[in-house]
Amino acid sequence: MSSSNAQTAPSRTDGAEVATSDPEVVLEVRGVVKDFPGTRALDDVDLAVRRGEVHALLGENGAGKSTLIRVICGASRPTAGALFVGGQLVEFASPQQAQALGIAVVHQHFNLAPQLSVAENLFLSRSLPRRAGIFVNWSETRRQAEKLLARVGLNIDPMTEVSQLRPDESAMVAIAKAIGSDAKIIILDEPTSALLPAEVSILFGHMRRLASEGHSFLYVSHRLAEVFEIADRVTVLRDGKRAGAWARADLSRRTVIEAIVGAGKPWIEDAAAAKSPSGAAILVAEDLAGGRVESLSFELRAGEILGFAGLPGSGAEEALDLLFARNPVRRGLLKMNGRASTLRTPRDAKNAGLALVPKNRHAESLLPGASVRENISLPNLNRFVTDPFARFIHRGRESAEARRIAVRLAIRMPSLEASIDSLSGGNQQKAILGRWLSSGAKIFMLNSPTAAVDIGAKAEIYRLIREIAASGAGVIFTSTEVEEFPRVCQRVSVFRDGRIAGELSGADATETNIMQLAVGGADGR
Amino acid sequence: MDADAGLHGGERKVRFDLAAWLARFGTIVSLGVLLVVFSLARSDVFPTVDNLLNIMNQVSILGTMAFGLTVCLVMGLFDLSIAAMATLGGYVATFLLVTYPDSVGVPLAVIVSLGVAAIIGIGNGLIVSYLGISAFIATLATGSIITGAMLGISNSKTIITGIPDEFMIIGQGAVYGVSNPIIIMLAIGLILWLLLEHTQLGRHLYAIGGSAEASRLSGIAVKRYAPIALAICALCAGLGGLMAASVLGAGRPQGVGDTYLLNAFAAVFIGASSLRPGKFHIVGTLIGVMLIGVINNGLSILGVPTYWQYIVQGVLLIVALFSAGLLTMRRR
Repeated sequence: MSSSNAQTAPSRTDGAEVATSDPEVVLEVRGVVKDFPGTRALDDVDLAVRRGEVHALLGENGAGKSTLIRVICGASRPTAGALFVGGQLVEFASPQQAQALGIAVVHQHFNLAPQLSVAENLFLSRSLPRRAGIFVNWSETRRQAEKLLARVGLNIDPMTEVSQLRPDESAMVAIAKAIGSDAKIIILDEPTSALLPAEVSILFGHMRRLASEGHSFLYVSHRLAEVFEIADRVTVLRDGKRAGAWARADLSRRTVIEAIVGAGKPWIEDAAAAKSPSGAAILVAEDLAGGRVESLSFELRAGEILGFAGLPGSGAEEALDLLFARNPVRRGLLKMNGRASTLRTPRDAKNAGLALVPKNRHAESLLPGASVRENISLPNLNRFVTDPFARFIHRGRESAEARRIAVRLAIRMPSLEASIDSLSGGNQQKAILGRWLSSGAKIFMLNSPTAAVDIGAKAEIYRLIREIAASGAGVIFTSTEVEEFPRVCQRVSVFRDGRIAGELSGADATETNIMQLAVGGADGR
Repeated sequence: MDADAGLHGGERKVRFDLAAWLARFGTIVSLGVLLVVFSLARSDVFPTVDNLLNIMNQVSILGTMAFGLTVCLVMGLFDLSIAAMATLGGYVATFLLVTYPDSVGVPLAVIVSLGVAAIIGIGNGLIVSYLGISAFIATLATGSIITGAMLGISNSKTIITGIPDEFMIIGQGAVYGVSNPIIIMLAIGLILWLLLEHTQLGRHLYAIGGSAEASRLSGIAVKRYAPIALAICALCAGLGGLMAASVLGAGRPQGVGDTYLLNAFAAVFIGASSLRPGKFHIVGTLIGVMLIGVINNGLSILGVPTYWQYIVQGVLLIVALFSAGLLTMRRR
């Protein structure tokens, strides 16, 4: 991997903080280290962006991409290392200083004010043209905005409200805003996550033209296929270190994926140790469609842990929401224990024995401010009702059940009546899982159950998932971190474009294979 | 309790925290301080059983309405139609009694007027749940509609003559020296306390108020609850207005509830900064109601001009909300 390294590695002599001699390099990051308490987020990272190039930055979640971007755009100061812009050594005390030197960041959601017009957004970080220093000069604003939009090749009325734009148009407005503030180096952080394929190619067309005019892009994305389409150069980060860098001519899909996930990563044994059980199918979907899910057919057997893998937007996560009737079903058939069932609301799904642990704990599953007991018994209160009319809750029985769950899952808490907010992320998530254990659900659908959970709790949650399956329930697991699938699942269905593109099981369900299937396309390069 | 003794990880150190303590008990302490101050200032008049009953009688209508309002605020819904709803409750009952003196008795008049209030409350809830309009705006609109309808039906004339004496018993009668309005307020408070604290309905209302999405994903049919909560609130507001009509001996078609609107919200929000900061609850609302009653009564006994009551109440509300907000903010 190092032999294919196309960077001109400058010889580093301590103290000699001189930029590389290549005058084409507009931005250079050299030996950057960033320490956070307890972790080293960036470890001796080098990166060089040339004039007029699209430079892709790749890596898994937590590989250090965001930290590196924060360092480059002045939002965070490196612990060690140097930054050169146009050959000059720079030290940014604030993002404003980075902006002044022509570095702009376009965030995933573009940082536009949706209720304002395109023109107002273009001038958001500067002041609008004035008349007599007081009143906004709208005709001048319009004229300047039109000029700016023409420069990025966007043919829209500058007085259009941003909320009316297509996602690719919003992306271009954000880029125009960056160019309007004289940005030479534009950092794009997952700009295509909200875009449809056709919109992506429009965006790429604009990017190529701007690059040919001398602008440079640092392009962060999860979508490998896009990276291979647009990037002139690729740098991969893994665990805070540079795992490789290639020019376009030297790129190969396999080496890039291996650099991202780590080649020859040891197979984690306690993972899918057991083979998929061959029991009866408890959940069968036939040609289910809704939202981003175009067509979903699969079988889940009792005691099985099935993974739904896929890149963001591939339909893997959305499939869970669809099965739980959170999103409306367009067509298709769902059979539970051999009987066709129609689930119209999450309430139907819960009553049918399904459980959903959604991805965003704080927005979708926790009851903030409520006690641990109340959080555990949320879906189960009907079990403690004493009479059919007033439906009084038997507090003693409720507490006893909540305590049983807390003890079984070893939830660490000040007391059962303590606020759920006072628990660590891992213990909060255990309470959410406990909620559904207590309800006696037969099918558990878990979306990134270990997100924002510390390592120790992660292992406990993995063990818990295996216990749930061992008790005869079915588990569908999805995660934004591909490395989790081989660890957790016995069988993995890989989604692409709203469909299952392939299935991997046992020893074949490696991170690399999953990524290959998720990215799709011919392995030609 | 011993079962989880080993689980007490002690993730938070327990030590005395003055700000937290004040957020919890500040309103009760100020209620106590006010009682002491007023008692010392006018020891002959203020600290008597008669005056305590007098205070409670004065706040009974406010309390009844505030308890109802607590239920919908638990779910996170503002009901601004309570003022109009109170006017409606009193006017409809007296209107029926006067218009159909032979066929409509007091019980039927009460049932019909509260029924009308409850149905409008359900309507409020349906608008909120199924048309997706925020409760704040929806109830502002229905409040306006009710006000208009009352003025139209009544021709802006107050009903004074022909109201049967039995109707006056609701507001003016007493049992063992305790006036009926006090009994009604306490009964409503007890019922709604049981409902919120000890029934599945109450627990679901709190859950939805905490996180509607988490509740929905836990199988709670979230949309069904706004009509229930707003109907309870409307019924209490109607009952408050009915008590007011009975106390006055008149059915006014406008303005009955307006005096209670701000005070009811003040009482409920003061309550939400008592004992369980950041949470609406019936006991807290009762504290808020009593605080307002004691201030008004004490200041008027001291001979302080009425306008001071408004000023003191406003200041108190800000202080109470600030102290509760301080705690909530630090929690994040």
